Amino acid sequence: MENTDWADVVASLAGDDDAYARLVRRYEKPITSLLWRFTRDPVQCEELVQQVFVDAYFSLKTYRGDAPLLHWLRRIATRTGYHFWRDKAREPLETALPDSDILEQIEAAQDDDIDPSEAAAVLQALLARLGADDRLVLTLMYFEECGTQEIAERMGWSRAKVKTQALRARRKIKEIAEREHILEKLGWTL
Amino acid sequence: MDALEALVRLACKAREEQIPVFGVADQVRLRIRSEKPAVTLIPLGLFGGISAVAASITLFMAIELWKYMSSPVMELVAPLPEMRLW
Repeated sequence: MENTDWADVVASLAGDDDAYARLVRRYEKPITSLLWRFTRDPVQCEELVQQVFVDAYFSLKTYRGDAPLLHWLRRIATRTGYHFWRDKAREPLETALPDSDILEQIEAAQDDDIDPSEAAAVLQALLARLGADDRLVLTLMYFEECGTQEIAERMGWSRAKVKTQALRARRKIKEIAEREHILEKLGWTL
Repeated sequence: MDALEALVRLACKAREEQIPVFGVADQVRLRIRSEKPAVTLIPLGLFGGISAVAASITLFMAIELWKYMSSPVMELVAPLPEMRLW
């Protein structure tokens, strides 16, 4: 880990608020980037980002420094996002696929023409039709390019569970994509 | 193209998305201050220590007093001897 991180961690534990603010500023961007995959609502996302750093502060004494601080923060953020989904799952609300021009844009089949933001919105809306466990595994695989080992470490699950979950989740999302006629809407043939 | 391949292709594009940055450092600082537990006058460890010392003294005195009873159980169950007051 970087010496500056460790110095700021030690200072934060000693009660230096400025040192912790420096850590927040240093890692806010990657943590926001991760949590944006859990909600595209800016207000909710900002709330989650704050929650991650508040939780991290109160758990800071458990951080041993044997892994980079960012890995440790990402683990907290992933679990925070996962619990956010679990809480939201109690609300009977299904995210609709965006009524945007993305489908027509993608139909052009030129990746450069596709707006990344709308591509992300479509993908996240599709993944939102899955349960929290399936959704988490595929979100980390698709957006964060995580392997099964990394997902297992972040969530404290066994690697075998992640592999099984990924297999099941892929099957489900494929069924959903076919039911929603995504490929036809995209103009991509089976 | 397979549905899963289409999703991978979407994901590739989605990773290029510009993510907003909120600037949460000040709000985090405020929340930490508000959620910090209030400082107690006597720390819990000190309170526990004082309680343990008091309990030890009480136990020591109880054992010492027990020794002075000739027959502890009988003393407890025997009726009080009647004393003549005149």
